[in-house]
Amino acid sequence: MKKIFNLLLGVVTSIGGFVEAGSISTAAQGGAEFGFALLWAIAVATIILAMLAEMAGRGATVSKQSMAAAVRQRFGFHYQMIPLGAELIIDLLLLAAEIGGIAVAIRLLTGAGFQWWVLPIGLVVWLVLWFGNFTIIEDGVGLLGMITVSFIVAAWQLHPEPKAVATGFIPSIPDHDLTRYAFLTVSIVGATVSPYLLNFYSSGAIEEKWTEPDLWINRTTSYLGMGFGSIVSMGVLVTSAVVLGPLQIRVDSYEQAALMFVPAFGRWAVTLFACALGVGCFGAAIEITLNAGYVLSQSFGWPWGIDKARRDATRFCTAFTVVLLLSVLIAVVGFDPLQMTLISVALTVVIMPLVVLPFLVLMNDHQYVKQHKAGPLANGFLAALTIVGALMALVVIPLEIFGG
Amino acid sequence: MEEHGLTRTIDVVHDVLDKHIVDRNGREMGRVDGISVELRGGAPPRLAEVLIGASVLGSRVNAVVGRWVQGVEHGLGIGEERPVRIRFSHVDEIGDKVKVDLAVGETGSETLERRLRTWILKIPGSR
Repeated sequence: MKKIFNLLLGVVTSIGGFVEAGSISTAAQGGAEFGFALLWAIAVATIILAMLAEMAGRGATVSKQSMAAAVRQRFGFHYQMIPLGAELIIDLLLLAAEIGGIAVAIRLLTGAGFQWWVLPIGLVVWLVLWFGNFTIIEDGVGLLGMITVSFIVAAWQLHPEPKAVATGFIPSIPDHDLTRYAFLTVSIVGATVSPYLLNFYSSGAIEEKWTEPDLWINRTTSYLGMGFGSIVSMGVLVTSAVVLGPLQIRVDSYEQAALMFVPAFGRWAVTLFACALGVGCFGAAIEITLNAGYVLSQSFGWPWGIDKARRDATRFCTAFTVVLLLSVLIAVVGFDPLQMTLISVALTVVIMPLVVLPFLVLMNDHQYVKQHKAGPLANGFLAALTIVGALMALVVIPLEIFGG
Repeated sequence: MEEHGLTRTIDVVHDVLDKHIVDRNGREMGRVDGISVELRGGAPPRLAEVLIGASVLGSRVNAVVGRWVQGVEHGLGIGEERPVRIRFSHVDEIGDKVKVDLAVGETGSETLERRLRTWILKIPGSR
């Protein structure tokens, strides 16, 4: 009974934790500019994420080692510093973007300037991490995140034409702005499959002391949770396509994105959008900060764990605090949070092969996963997609930035 | 790692370098950041020490990076005890982890952790 409860809780929290700054902004832009045509990108990205998350959980459960720790041990520091450095840089940018997202949400609610909120937000994130434990953080964030289901409600109330929506799941080439379409495809994938999620997942399996008999829970929560969670992302895209598309509104700021809620929620639109955005970003900010502490500690072999007394894992606590401080600084300096988000999620796709390929090697290593190895289909699918994605990202990011 | 009866062949880079080191009570000491080899005129070289410390890692990347990290360690006031050097004669077991017959407290591997602790204990909730 307790297992069933844990399973349901896991699925619910995955749904609540699915969308954040990256997925909301990319899906909103995709919908506004290309209608339903990019739904397939969310679907493919979700399959990749669910497969990787399941593997990350499985690997950690069997080997009792997180992804970062295993990569250092198997490939040595010389190799590991490359994905580690890349992941930390993206974590910093993404964390700044999430903090920016929360600040914009508060500005939408109160009208007071965005910069004022950055420091207090950083402090609240730190306080939750300092006083929380893994269960409180994961379940609390996920349950609060259920407010993001309002994106599905909005899409539902707009009665989009089912046939048109279904067509969006078939990859197609648009008749206008091909570069932009390719850039948004890459961004949607990068926003969905964040490297921080994978290490966070594998560390979570260790924090929650999963054992091999729990593997089915891991499998079910990753596929069901991510599957249902992606419907929230799709809700953002569909709502944006139906509301903003015909008005020719390109989403250049979160304020414009908030307009997508007006037909469905009337005068509550901005409040509800701000809450969904704020809570989504807050959950992600906590997970990214925590993950930065995890990756650094696991790579260097320091004691770590949010369930440990803070005094017993001081380098771990210092690591996440410093990363949070740096991100707060980036956010305070002032930049456009939406642009920051888009750039960091697109860069994520570039570094994906560096993270995914060694991970696949581990998932085929008997010493790491014993008999629970990845199948040839999963190996081929994930390796091919991450390489193609990275090549595509390398081409379209410069085009997007310099092509205006 | 191959096993032949009582003797084992160990690939130092694959089986020792970058692995977790734990003390005799299973407490984490860090990772094998480097290995030193003793060159003895005439006799074959011998594995001397297991090294733990960010400056060793830095110097594996590049000598300048190594010196720079060493400078940072000095700045933090932990330079003298770094890198931590553990003689190979203290290595008890090489498996998933490298186990040594010392206790964390007997080495300098926890210096930074302890120094940070004095600060962290001042924050409410550090339990």
